[in-house]
Amino acid sequence: MRVLVVEDDRMIAQGLETALKQDGYAVDRVADGRAAAEALRSTRFDVVLLDLGLPERDGIDVLRELRRRGDATPVVILTARDEVRDRIEGLDAGADDYIVKPFDLDEVSARMRSVLRRAAGRGDPCIRHRGITLDPVTRSVERDGTPVTLSAHEFAVLEALLQRPGAVLSRAQLEDRLYGWSAQIESNAVEVYIHGLRRKLGSDAIRTLRGVGYFVPKE
Amino acid sequence: MTSIRARLLIALLALVSAVSILAGTLTYRRVLAETSLLFDYQLRQMALSLRSQVSMAPRLELPPDEADADFVIQIWDLYGARIYLSRPGLPLINQTALGYADIVVGGKPWRTYGLQTLDGVIQIAQPVRVRQAFARAAALRVIAPLLLLLPLLIAAVIGVVSNGLWPLKRVAREVQRRDVHSLAPIAVADLPQEIAPLAQELNRLLARLDAAFQAQRAFVADAAHELRSPLTAVSLELQLLDRAPDEAARATARERLGAAVERAIHLLEQLLDLARNEPRDERHELTEVPLEPAAAQGVADSHALALSRHIELSLESEPVRVLGYPEALRTLVRNLVDNAVRYTPPGGRVRVRIRAEGGGVLEVSDSGPGIPPGERARVFDRFHRRRGSPEGGSGLGLAIVKAIAERHGARVDLDDAPGGGLKVSVVFPAPPQTRRRPETAAAPA
Repeated sequence: MRVLVVEDDRMIAQGLETALKQDGYAVDRVADGRAAAEALRSTRFDVVLLDLGLPERDGIDVLRELRRRGDATPVVILTARDEVRDRIEGLDAGADDYIVKPFDLDEVSARMRSVLRRAAGRGDPCIRHRGITLDPVTRSVERDGTPVTLSAHEFAVLEALLQRPGAVLSRAQLEDRLYGWSAQIESNAVEVYIHGLRRKLGSDAIRTLRGVGYFVPKE
Repeated sequence: MTSIRARLLIALLALVSAVSILAGTLTYRRVLAETSLLFDYQLRQMALSLRSQVSMAPRLELPPDEADADFVIQIWDLYGARIYLSRPGLPLINQTALGYADIVVGGKPWRTYGLQTLDGVIQIAQPVRVRQAFARAAALRVIAPLLLLLPLLIAAVIGVVSNGLWPLKRVAREVQRRDVHSLAPIAVADLPQEIAPLAQELNRLLARLDAAFQAQRAFVADAAHELRSPLTAVSLELQLLDRAPDEAARATARERLGAAVERAIHLLEQLLDLARNEPRDERHELTEVPLEPAAAQGVADSHALALSRHIELSLESEPVRVLGYPEALRTLVRNLVDNAVRYTPPGGRVRVRIRAEGGGVLEVSDSGPGIPPGERARVFDRFHRRRGSPEGGSGLGLAIVKAIAERHGARVDLDDAPGGGLKVSVVFPAPPQTRRRPETAAAPA
């Protein structure tokens, strides 16, 4: 899962990045509204944490532009503006959730999961597919009721593929989900994770569409 | 407390009383004068009419009842023998004078008229008491209605005064309704012109108060908002410390937690500095202090920061004394130098100069990027941070500088520094003439 953190306060951005990385997200950070708009135009994120009081361009403005483009990327506003009219404005501008600073990290994580769940059109917090159960809260995976131990990256790849069964994700798309801009990526890393997943979940769990990418078959 | 109503009442009642007494006295005296003339005329007419009777029948016996009780008639013959006395029993008037005369008989004043006839003298006498009683009665008749009207007048005065004071009462009630939350102006439209200026002044005061309160409220809101960021960072790092998976993560979280707390403290201190230098009624007199020690302390305060950013700090100073508060001046210099150091790239320099020009000028120039002229006015705003502001600034530094400068009557100018960068000049006002020559004043003979 790739997250864009839009926050001009370096300390808060740093803390968020650390926390989100611990949760297994790939994190990118921008510190002003213009950079945020550019990042959102060029890169696909699974979820955006957006501060409102930003230099250059206000967060609301960035959000409106995103929605005008028809981009439905889930956006959680994370701001010091706590008045009701600010919250209404933020939600009406197209935000999926609104959190006021100072916040609880666990709550932010939970709200991000909830937003992601809804974006994927699911109500059940766990993703269940062909005998595989993935719980984003506990970050655990079961195969036919037996717990399976996955590395953080394996979990992220599986989560990305399970979000839309049948849809093919290219290696580059998966890398995008796994790493922020700054991360060093080994050329065959994705193949290694897929290999690990097939070993643990059965060779049929993830299929390859040669030359295009990977997918989990529909039921 | 004085009451307008009581004062008006007392004044009006005193006036009514004085007028009554004056009117009574004047009436008494005028009536007395007029009746005197009339009675005198009567005395004479009586004497004249008696002369004709007496001439025709010298021994005429006048019936006693014809004689008015107020009059005494005596007739003497040519030899001085009394041939007639209208009212025996009265003390005898033994004096005669022709024409009008005032005489005293038995200690009482009488008015008499003597008339020479062919065979004697006729004298008509009347006690002055009668005339006075007549005048007194007339005076009383004038005063009585005035005195009877007195209660009515009092009631009327109370009514008129209360009515006249009603707008004042209304304004008082209106003012009573005002408090911190409602500083709406008082309606002036239908107030009498004597009270309207008072209400207008009150309204001006209310408006000033309202503006001050709003500024204060805005400041508190801003301050709370600004405190949120460092406190969010503190709470974030605390949570990260709790959930850190390994020792390295814990160490990082602890270090960042320290920095976040540091930042919150810095912001609080800046807020306090700003609050301490808010404009207000200064309680103590400004004292004349040398500028250099305060500046040196301010520069020393920023030394550690400058060192960590590899910035060369320098202070040159000419002897300058200003009227001021040393602690505030130190804060001013510290904020200016802090700002300069933060905005200057490592390896640069920040120079502080004190020049003896006019009332004294304190200059802080740096080798940083400077501020474009269009942005210079806004940098004094509270919590204003310029684009690309360095970390750790509170956005209050220049607001504090401005507040302190204003307390000293000084002006803050922003210019380009000679080698690029920003030059901030704090221009102190020239001290008043009396303070300029302390040598001559302090030299005793």
